[in-house]
Amino acid sequence: MSKRVLIVDDAVVMRMMIKGILSKNGFDVVGEAQNGVEAVEKYKALNPDLVTMDMVMPEMDGISAVRQIISHDANAKIIMCTSMGQQALVVEAIQAGAKSFITKPFQPPKILETINKVLT
Amino acid sequence: MSDDLFDKSEFVSYFRDEAEELLQQIDADLLQLEDLVGSEHLDSELVNSLFRALHTIKGSSGMLQFTGVQNLAHKLENLCDLLRKERMPLSEGCVDILFGGRDFLTDLVDSAINGKDAPNGLNDYIGRLESFVAVYEETSNVIEGTASEISFEAAAAAESEEQAGAGDVAAFEADIWRMVEAARAESGTSAPAPKPPELKAEEPARAQAAQPAAQTPAKQKQKTSAHQTIRVDIERLDLLLNLVGELVINRTRISDIAGTLERALTDKNGAVAALNGHAKDLVPLAKELADSSALLARTTNEIQESIMKVRMVPIGQVFDRFPRLVRDVAKARGKEVQLQISGAETDLDKTIVDEVGEPLMHLLRNCVDHGIETPEDREKRGKPRHGTISLNAYHEGNQIIIEVSDDGHGIDLEKVRARGIKQGLIGSDDRLSDREIIELIFTPGFSTAEVISDVSGRGVGMDVVKKNITRLKGVFDVNTAPGAGTTFTIKLPLTLAIIQALLVRVVDELYAIPLDSVIESQRVEMEDVRTVHGNEVITLRGQVVPLLRVADFFELGGKRDPDKVMIVIVGLQGRQVGLVVDSFQGEQEIVIKPLSDVVGRIPGISGATILGNGSISLIIDVHSLVSEAYASGRVARAEFSGV
Repeated sequence: MSKRVLIVDDAVVMRMMIKGILSKNGFDVVGEAQNGVEAVEKYKALNPDLVTMDMVMPEMDGISAVRQIISHDANAKIIMCTSMGQQALVVEAIQAGAKSFITKPFQPPKILETINKVLT
Repeated sequence: MSDDLFDKSEFVSYFRDEAEELLQQIDADLLQLEDLVGSEHLDSELVNSLFRALHTIKGSSGMLQFTGVQNLAHKLENLCDLLRKERMPLSEGCVDILFGGRDFLTDLVDSAINGKDAPNGLNDYIGRLESFVAVYEETSNVIEGTASEISFEAAAAAESEEQAGAGDVAAFEADIWRMVEAARAESGTSAPAPKPPELKAEEPARAQAAQPAAQTPAKQKQKTSAHQTIRVDIERLDLLLNLVGELVINRTRISDIAGTLERALTDKNGAVAALNGHAKDLVPLAKELADSSALLARTTNEIQESIMKVRMVPIGQVFDRFPRLVRDVAKARGKEVQLQISGAETDLDKTIVDEVGEPLMHLLRNCVDHGIETPEDREKRGKPRHGTISLNAYHEGNQIIIEVSDDGHGIDLEKVRARGIKQGLIGSDDRLSDREIIELIFTPGFSTAEVISDVSGRGVGMDVVKKNITRLKGVFDVNTAPGAGTTFTIKLPLTLAIIQALLVRVVDELYAIPLDSVIESQRVEMEDVRTVHGNEVITLRGQVVPLLRVADFFELGGKRDPDKVMIVIVGLQGRQVGLVVDSFQGEQEIVIKPLSDVVGRIPGISGATILGNGSISLIIDVHSLVSEAYASGRVARAEFSGV
């Protein structure tokens, strides 16, 4: 069974790219969300195996979304998508329950490596 | 990035659309931000919105390796970061730098996508931006140089180099894991990493979410009912619309066949004709054919309407960029102008939305440039210092009306007339109606400079505006009141692909006249037709209407009916012209097919359509037909012919 992924990012291009990379590598992208509020809603509705979560988004940012998802499902597997220079925020996200992070601009092998590590 | 893993070209169009939207949003945010300069209160949500938009552009351009865009977005993001952390005051200079950056970003996105060179002046601009930011970055380091903040600055600096190398990324990532470890070691004893101000607004949400994650609610699968949208390439919709066009043609054809068959099987009293043998079986079949063709017609209409709706987008997409434009032009001309927009949610066809932006932009520019007086002049005339331009859109029947009006000094008809005479466009004793004088403005080569305004820097070609509107099958109208302002009214069809038309026969040809320009059709006795200066006219309800014989215009020959003429009265910018045809063939919905390049442009013809019976009918372009006829003197200038 392929793993079910929810992609959270406010940028269409990012979502398309992550989706492209994951779909080509045997993952099933079951949903996309463009902000934290949608992410929490979709997590509850779809119950995915993995979430990729952008940090900077309108409505609700990535860290708040991580907290809400973790409070709903303590075992949620969330990977943060971050840009350079956001150390403090990434650390905060990990303390909030995110499992790992990837740095933009992504390298496809790196994304897959991180995801596989988190899923095992 | 290995190519077998992904091909970035397929994302470029998404990037373009997204960047366009975000740049528009940045513009809107900046205009709001500009109003806050000098005020105590800084709207943090506004700055955050700006920050996020720049951040998104940075991220997406980074993925596509558009490093120019990425670098500039990053630098501007940094500036916004200083603003929202209140390390930099919101000043006019700061807003100007941001506006400038926004414009360069637009150019950079364009050059990245089209593989062009970086825009001129970019390096100068980046130099200015950097030295502007540097002042505040230095002070901020001194004021609160905590360990993590310093590494933040360092990382940001590293990134702003041409491209973040792999080594930097590795260092950044290692840094994070080290910090996580450190925080873990001292967990419980002190609060976790300092919260950046960005998250303040989220406080309530976080407090709520901060409760221990002990309760793991039962996981249930629910269906999301969230509103979903997808982006579709407009070309696919065009193709679909084209196919539906063919469907409409065939639907009409099947209806025709059903009708013919039914007539063939019944005599003129409506009774079933005497048929023998197998022919009798045809009667119920004909009935069935008629029924299902009616059903087909209904479904086809619905499909057509749905596709039309899919192609509809709010005109606000175009309006969004105008506040900025008006601001810039007003600033450059030393005028104070307020732009009021209403009806931004009015829908119309995507292709028209795309085309209408340019002419509207010219019009607005013109209003600021030539319409609105300087603040001093306005005060002298007892008007408020700042002029008002309103941009209004609404639906009226099958059309959309866009009005651009200003409360400036109006068009000086005498000056326009004098200029027209000077440029040899009209004779000095020509008696022209006000409307005809205004029409002069739209003559190619008519320079608006010096005429309507003394402030003018460059004349904006109103002929181009009008040409663009006409190309969209639109009608353009001007109303002006001296001293009180000018209103430009643009009427556009909601769609260009399918129109209602009146079919007429001229000699052996069928022509389609778009119904929106038809006022009425009439049969007139030859004795009521008079000749003025060699051209035919009729008097209709006290108004003199010049006639144009379509057969003569297209050089079709044919015989003239000595007793009567069939006339289709068409309206054009308030003028009326009677087109003389041989007979009326009824109204019909037609699908416009452009003429191929092989045929080229024919004056008076805008395209062709295939009728239900498979025959081809040319569509009359009323505007070009009448202007051509006027130009060649084939039509009487009724208004001043003294009849």
